[in-house]
Amino acid sequence: MTYMAIPNIGNYTIALATAVESLGIKAWASTATTPEALKLGIAAAPETVCLPLKAHLGHFIEADRAGVEYAFMVNSVGTCRLRYYRHMIEHILKDLGLKIKIFGLGFDGFKPPIVRHFDPGPITFLKPLFHTALKIKVIDKLEVAAWRTRAIEITHGDTTLLMNKLLVELSESKTMARTRAIRKKVAGCFAEIPVDKEKKPLKVGLVGEISFLRDKCLNKNIEYILGSQGIELRNFFLLGEELKNITRIVFLNQNKRKYLSKVADRYLQCTVGGHALDSVAHSIHCADEGYDGMIHLCPSGCMPEVSVRPILKRVSKDKDIPILEMSYDEHTCDVGISTRLEAFADVLMERRKKQPARPSRGEGN
Amino acid sequence: MIMIKRLHKSVGVYIDMGNQFLKNISPEWMWKSGHYSGSSLRIGIPRMFFYYIYPDLWETFFGELGMEPVVSRPSTRKTVEKASQISETEHCLPNKLFDAHLAEVVGKVDMVFVPRVLSTIKNHLSCPKFGPLPDAARADIARGTEVLSIDIDENKRPLSKTLLLLGKKLNIQKSKTLSAIKSAFIAMESANKKMVLLNKKKGKPRFLLVGHPYVIHDNFIAGPILSKLESMGVEVELISFADDTPAKSYILWSTANKIYHKLNTLSSEDYDGVIQLTVFNCGCDSMMIDTYRQLVKDKNVPYMYLMVDEHLAQSGIDTRVEAFIDSLRWRG
Ligand code: SF4
Repeated sequence: MTYMAIPNIGNYTIALATAVESLGIKAWASTATTPEALKLGIAAAPETVCLPLKAHLGHFIEADRAGVEYAFMVNSVGTCRLRYYRHMIEHILKDLGLKIKIFGLGFDGFKPPIVRHFDPGPITFLKPLFHTALKIKVIDKLEVAAWRTRAIEITHGDTTLLMNKLLVELSESKTMARTRAIRKKVAGCFAEIPVDKEKKPLKVGLVGEISFLRDKCLNKNIEYILGSQGIELRNFFLLGEELKNITRIVFLNQNKRKYLSKVADRYLQCTVGGHALDSVAHSIHCADEGYDGMIHLCPSGCMPEVSVRPILKRVSKDKDIPILEMSYDEHTCDVGISTRLEAFADVLMERRKKQPARPSRGEGN
Repeated sequence: MIMIKRLHKSVGVYIDMGNQFLKNISPEWMWKSGHYSGSSLRIGIPRMFFYYIYPDLWETFFGELGMEPVVSRPSTRKTVEKASQISETEHCLPNKLFDAHLAEVVGKVDMVFVPRVLSTIKNHLSCPKFGPLPDAARADIARGTEVLSIDIDENKRPLSKTLLLLGKKLNIQKSKTLSAIKSAFIAMESANKKMVLLNKKKGKPRFLLVGHPYVIHDNFIAGPILSKLESMGVEVELISFADDTPAKSYILWSTANKIYHKLNTLSSEDYDGVIQLTVFNCGCDSMMIDTYRQLVKDKNVPYMYLMVDEHLAQSGIDTRVEAFIDSLRWRG
């Protein structure tokens, strides 16, 4: 059996695996970078590159050790370091004498080389793609439900258990019909978790660099930590949404980016690169919607995200919304993170007590 | 209409009004804040980034337009101290220095100039950190001062057009702007020529110093290294960025591609060594340094890499440079 390593994009890796299997090969992946992979990456990469690259690289090295022959990753896109990831990773892997072959996935022609290589034939190829899209939608739904429920669950861990159970089911689902069935039962399953309906949880938005928004290992499980502190989250990385943006750019040329630019216009008149514009726009948006606070995640030294920090600070002052800046490097430890998050939650709680009626708290949607 | 009349006396009142109408009829900085005092306007230019990317261009241009350009003083240890107080801790060193330079001119001038340098040569991009510079300036350090800005994007329009637009923004006659552009380009060209060689000494070992223009020409970052090299009597050539036609490569960042191109076409006859100067937290360099090193190594030219951070000490630099040059002697 041929295996292909796919990059970790959090729980969405499950959906991506389905796409890879459409090529008639097996997917080698995990829903979070493993600490071992991260260690391998850190050891092999130049010291000054950013952490997501090290995680990526480590993942591939680990794959190669496990005997995986192929891997794929995004091609050169964007204005920041991401554009050079593939070049650098390929070089390092070659220097290490590893044989794993990397396919780039980007807009280079109708049939990307990866499809040409495995040539699965159109029918076997297209159907799983729809299945992938469906799975992505289900995962979006799961994530959203989990952020809400975790904050008000009565027994700690219920939500996470349920989430994991459903994710396993989803990854085992081989047919569209089963996936649809899972989608149907999501809402019901989450409704069964005993919750404290009276509780008005703090609402916090997560923005920043995407690998940190989605990878539990990199962000030190921030969603879980915050959720179990009774904080309702909104993580601004939902793959379904992102994909919608991309297709809209291609087909309708009327995308969310434009809307975001408009929201951020008073503070930032440039798209910067990465998700920096999103960070600013979402922060403004959340402030207007009455969120209690924002958390901005990025790897230390991240070019686009760090460069908008002064702007986020201004937003925070103007709109009176606390924004916590978190940056991660390889020395960041779990304890440090949870301490900072706890302190932040305390601050938000104090603020809530002082001004109990923050405007327009969107109930239940 | 009343609004427009009052606008000419004091525009400051309209900060944050977000009046779409005013925005449409007046130059960008007018509705942002501040006041307009005619031609002898003092304009502040931070001595960083675009100041070195376009040497002498801005002073000449604004000067010819009848304004008074005020450039911040060259970076010193003081600048760095100031930078570490006011700037974002995770910025790269040049960006921190930029903030300090900006802070130096703010308050002394009627407006500051911070362009958005998106691309300096066609089909290339600048470092993503340049994008939000004017916005960050408005949000933080230059708050309350007019920030004059313009997009410099060679993928959209050439620099001369950009400057023409800038003149229009300032409500200056087209003919005047045109002649200012002409002088500015001439000034930039001669400055570019002057910037290259440090000291010419026949028969001495000759080194090439590479790095971003605002790194190798900054007094704090490159000063100690240049003075050390000078005192050792070696000839140093600073990489020139004047040539705007580097061969296409996989690199999209303009400065990085120019450096790549230069190193790629390097001959071991021309130089006795290459000194790579980089700065703490520079994202672009972090991706490129290994490629550069490999290129130079393949040419069989000695290579030294120096990273400068806020705590740069002359003694440390001295030892490294001496060791490098000594090792070349033994190399024979
Ligand atoms: S290229 Fe490097 S030094 Fe220059 S602004 Fe970008 S990160 Fe900073």
